[in-house]
Amino acid sequence: MSIEEQYRTRAKELLSSGEVKLVIGYTKGSTADRRRPAFVSSPEEVDRLVLDGACIANLSGYLVTEGLLSDEKRVAVYLRPEGIRAINILAAEFQLDARQVEILGFNTTGNEPSALAGSKVDDFADLIASLKDSTPDTAGEELYLKLEAMTPQERFDFWQAEFSKCIKCYACRQACPMCYCRRCIVDNNQPQWVNTSSHTLGNFEWNIVRAFHLSGRCVECGNCDRACPVNIPLRLINRKMAGEVLEAFDHFSGSSQTQEPVMASFKKDDTETFIL
Amino acid sequence: MTKILYTDKLDQCLERWRSAGLSVLGPVRKDNVTAYRPVGSAADFELTQIIPDRSIKELFFPQTEPMMHYSIKKDAIDTEECLPPVGARIIFGARPCDASGLAIDDPLFGWDYKDEYWFNRRNETVIVSIACTKADAFCMCTSLKLSPDSTKGSDVLLRALESGKGWQVEELTDRGREAFKSIAELLVEGSDSVAPTAVVAEKFDADKCAEWLKNPENFESRFWKEISVRCIGCGSCTYLCPTCHCFDIQDEGDTFTGIRRKNWDSCSFALFTMHTSGHNPRSTQSARWRQRIMHKFNYFPGKFSANSCSGCGRCTRQCPVDMGITETLQEISKLSQ
Repeated sequence: MSIEEQYRTRAKELLSSGEVKLVIGYTKGSTADRRRPAFVSSPEEVDRLVLDGACIANLSGYLVTEGLLSDEKRVAVYLRPEGIRAINILAAEFQLDARQVEILGFNTTGNEPSALAGSKVDDFADLIASLKDSTPDTAGEELYLKLEAMTPQERFDFWQAEFSKCIKCYACRQACPMCYCRRCIVDNNQPQWVNTSSHTLGNFEWNIVRAFHLSGRCVECGNCDRACPVNIPLRLINRKMAGEVLEAFDHFSGSSQTQEPVMASFKKDDTETFIL
Repeated sequence: MTKILYTDKLDQCLERWRSAGLSVLGPVRKDNVTAYRPVGSAADFELTQIIPDRSIKELFFPQTEPMMHYSIKKDAIDTEECLPPVGARIIFGARPCDASGLAIDDPLFGWDYKDEYWFNRRNETVIVSIACTKADAFCMCTSLKLSPDSTKGSDVLLRALESGKGWQVEELTDRGREAFKSIAELLVEGSDSVAPTAVVAEKFDADKCAEWLKNPENFESRFWKEISVRCIGCGSCTYLCPTCHCFDIQDEGDTFTGIRRKNWDSCSFALFTMHTSGHNPRSTQSARWRQRIMHKFNYFPGKFSANSCSGCGRCTRQCPVDMGITETLQEISKLSQ
């Protein structure tokens, strides 16, 4: 049985037994190569669910939709390892109760999805630990290395050109499972902390604020990068920050539900190399 | 016999237009995104992409624009108005849907207050469109009573020759004729056959949709919730849209000096309708998506007798969750049968 069939059967069982009230997965999109998020709440609808190599979006962000989990019922969601890490972070930051999340885990190697054993977030602890020294994103490798080899001025020029394209549609923020704030700092206007204008300075402010807010939290799922309508390689900023946090604090985001947020916790033996 | 502009004459055209005082713009691909930008030579044009990623509206209604500088002094407030930069321009290689989008927005910007930022630019810009010979699954101009060779909003329409070596020229307005006078010697009379225009299937019945949208009973329909459940509430569709025109006015600076700016705003954002009290009349994403559709296909046509959509398809093409106007109106077409 294909993983698609296997997960449809599981989704049907979960919905029929009332174990979950909703399954968040993927379905066909507007063209043959597109998949879109699907919300299935009755067993009769599970045949809409698709699972193949084109299913890449991290769907975990939908779990923190206002009110979705407030009835204490459970929801099942199709997740790749990055998505599972996101659940750990959301739980660690008290945005959801991971017991309400049933995971239909899968990984994509080549162009084929394969099932991951487990259904609760803790079932995947060993898998996540094994990922610590690898990056989930290999697509941006070439550009990443190129940027690393640049002088600070060249890098600044690169990002200046990229950020000057930004139109502040906030697709990166909206697509990000970690950007769950009911009111983002850029939407605060009393006082207006961050310029709303989409000129180069305003775009820098926005993208740097976001990079810092995601340090030690980003799971490198690539949702922001794929969502960006002007193709700014956003994942590279977050990947850089993830690398810094791993090196300085041995912190691999989303390792467990009890992991302390790196930017909001202090340990006596934290390195302080950044203090000059 | 019609006038033909051969591609190998394009660089000379650009020179002539510049000598005639026009700055030249057109679709250019830079840093992985195609947008309407200043053009140096003919080699800069990206005319093969089905449609530029970003719409033409930003050349008339930029994402951020200064309106005035202010300084507050002890006994006076000084203000200095910023008007849009002047200078005649020619946009070469616009898509007909983008050009139509500008014409759709003209009555809006001239309705109660004549927006000089828009019209100063509109009046000084010649738009040379190229009829589409290629379309993709997201193009939907024909569903909006437009077409891949629509002349709406264009000053000149070009049709690609079958040989791929140039275009047949159709001058549509006085402004277009004036601009093409300066290149008259570079055009030749010919009877070269033109490439067939793209075939864009009709995807929905806009009139039927309008009927459904006008029915007050459908305002609270469950449909809105169902169709927009996956919407993540970003502004990508509105900011890439050639007809979306909402803006916000913001002061940047400190208490005493600063700059007042006109910035794009989007009905997809929760903040768009947030009241000072904290109450939000459009508190859910489905209410915001309903507003976007209602505005484009019910309220706007009610006031200006045209849909606020030219069928470019960018809303779906670039949507992070594969939503967009096409799917919604297709579903409404089904409901209204």
